[in-house]
Amino acid sequence: MITLTHFLVVSACIFCIGLYAILAKRNAIMILVGIELMINAAILNFVAFGKYDKLHYGGQIFALFAIVLAAAAVAVGLAIILNVYRHYKTINPDHITDLRD
Amino acid sequence: MSGLPYISPIYASIVVVGLPLLAFLLQAIRGKKSTSGLFALVSIALSTLISGLFVLPQVWQEAPVTATVHWFTIGDSVFTLGILLNNLSALMQFIVCIIALPVHIYSKAYMKGDPGIHRYWMYLSLFCFAMLGLTVSKNLFMMYVFWELVGIASYLLIGFWFTKEAAVAANKKAFIVNRIGDIGFLIGIAILFSLFSTLDLVDLFGNEGVFAAGLYKDTGLITLAGICFFLGAMAKSAQFPLHVWLPDAMEGPTSVSSLIHAATMVAAGVFLMASIFPLFNANVLLLMAIVGTITALSAAYFALCQYDIKKVLAFSTISQLGYMIAAVGIGVWDAAMFHLATHAFFKCLLFLCAGAVIHEMVHHKEHTKLDFDPQDLRHMGGLRQYMPKTFVLMSIASLALAGFPLTSGYLSKDAIIIAAFEWAAQHGPGYIVIPIILVIVSILTAFYIGRLIFKAFFGPIRIPQIDQQAPHIREAPQTMLVPMIFLGLGSLFFAFSLNPLSYHQAEILTGFSVRYAFEEIHSLHLVIPIVLTVGALCSWILAWKWYVKGKYPLQANSLWITRGGEQFGLDELYKKTFVNGTLALGRASQWCDKHVLDGLIVHGTAHVVKSLSRAIYWVDKHIVDGLVNTVADTTYYIGHLLRWVQNGRIQNYFGFAFTIILIGIVYLIFR
Repeated sequence: MITLTHFLVVSACIFCIGLYAILAKRNAIMILVGIELMINAAILNFVAFGKYDKLHYGGQIFALFAIVLAAAAVAVGLAIILNVYRHYKTINPDHITDLRD
Repeated sequence: MSGLPYISPIYASIVVVGLPLLAFLLQAIRGKKSTSGLFALVSIALSTLISGLFVLPQVWQEAPVTATVHWFTIGDSVFTLGILLNNLSALMQFIVCIIALPVHIYSKAYMKGDPGIHRYWMYLSLFCFAMLGLTVSKNLFMMYVFWELVGIASYLLIGFWFTKEAAVAANKKAFIVNRIGDIGFLIGIAILFSLFSTLDLVDLFGNEGVFAAGLYKDTGLITLAGICFFLGAMAKSAQFPLHVWLPDAMEGPTSVSSLIHAATMVAAGVFLMASIFPLFNANVLLLMAIVGTITALSAAYFALCQYDIKKVLAFSTISQLGYMIAAVGIGVWDAAMFHLATHAFFKCLLFLCAGAVIHEMVHHKEHTKLDFDPQDLRHMGGLRQYMPKTFVLMSIASLALAGFPLTSGYLSKDAIIIAAFEWAAQHGPGYIVIPIILVIVSILTAFYIGRLIFKAFFGPIRIPQIDQQAPHIREAPQTMLVPMIFLGLGSLFFAFSLNPLSYHQAEILTGFSVRYAFEEIHSLHLVIPIVLTVGALCSWILAWKWYVKGKYPLQANSLWITRGGEQFGLDELYKKTFVNGTLALGRASQWCDKHVLDGLIVHGTAHVVKSLSRAIYWVDKHIVDGLVNTVADTTYYIGHLLRWVQNGRIQNYFGFAFTIILIGIVYLIFR
């Protein structure tokens, strides 16, 4: 039988993969992908914990909202990456250090 | 004065004083271009003319004329500048002019071709200005100023040939010895000013002055003032023991010696004594008589032992000045002035003749290129054949110096010696020593001047020469002879008195009309002149036998003569005591300055301050600054550490944020 714990373990695995992608990848697109993975890990948790709200299905509703918001965020993120590329002619975050003091 | 326009004697005498000053300034401006002496000659000639025509005739035997202008005020004391013209000052001014004029003309030939001739004329004009100003000064302070100016002119002229070592030493000596006298003069002025708060000669010594009003003079302060003024006169008039500068002053040109160091400047002391005569009380007068007599005797003796023709004349000058001072001391300052006037003529002439002789000797020396001293009497002899006119003139001057009848010296010397005898008779038996010494000096004088004449002009020719050629010695040129002839006429009796045998008709003596404090003794007026004349004659005969006939009885290098030539070691004594003493004092103070003042105090303090500041510097650098720097460095280091975080890499930022959240979670779990 698939219990809540299985869901949480999968979710944690996805979160860690996303975290790794954000910290270690040398490509901004892959970082964006990592962010999506972490959001999806959170959405998975929403859905898994949704079994405790059988009356209103609050978990499922929140998951739907989160998917929409993640899509919007990806669109914004891609637009930023596109502009960064135009400006710096690269999307390797190691080469973009203009945020330092 | 019929036929001459009347000019106020005051303005005339200002012109007389001013002309040489003008000449001095003009020659100073023209510098090396002024070699002809034209300015000096013209100015002194005009001065002489004006003094002779407009000053002396209008002042002589008239009431004194004075003029005063305000000079400056200190507190309530007013200092003035003024001209005083009375018999004494007008006569002195005229004497200075009438002696200076021939000397100027003589110098024209004598100094011809000298490389420093422009300086010579400049200094000579300066001297004339100072001396003429000195004679007519109305107050003592003004007189002191001119007194110093005369001193500096004398200094400059003695050292005229300043490349000669001896001349430099001589002018230094003259200047320093005169400083001693100047200090005395200054102290005397100060005492008089503190007592009477005026320095005006008329207010002090005039007919209605302080002293004429019967002031009690036997106080210590007035005696001291008298001695101080006398000290000034002692230095200027070369009285024993301050006479040492005058023989050395002969290093200057001979024409200068004749004007300054024989006729005029050295007489300034006597003139000063005569001007302030009422100041002196009996004690000071006695001191003056004694010093004058000692000077006369010692200098006459030293003159006997000299071989340098100018040194003989220098000591003779000192001796005659001693006579004058002694005369002032006896109280007959009119006789002193009379002797001053006659002495000025014949001593000036003696020097000019000696100058002519030296001039020719130097020519001979340059021509033959032999090495000998052209001033040494032992190298002369027989010059009578080569320079007959000079010989005649010098003989006249010598006769006047020796006091033979028909000369001016006879009159003035008799006046002094007779007065001395009368004075001694009045005061008591002990005082008779002074007139007797004066008589002995008179005979010695005749002897040494006879020796000079015989050694230089008679006997065999002793001039060093090559191969028995005739020496290159000729008569003096016309420019030198004319002034000498003029002075020669002035050395005869008719220049001063129409009676050749008695001084009573002498115009200078009748002009002053001094009341003597002693009675006249008539027998002396007959005996003394005869004694003096016979004594002088005997000494000339003796000198003739010794020096012309060659029967010289003494050893030339006997102790009495060599020691006399060295003034019995007086110079040595001064050198050992005063000069070496001063040098030692100077060295001691230099040592003190270097080691105590500089070494101990200045350098010691500097060293302490330096060490102290070095310590403070160390503290400042290592403790105060160190503290501040440590704080700053620490802050900087921490800042540097934190700065590394802000490296602009977005992944690092995320990593840090995540780490912090993780730490927070761990904290929440394990708290």
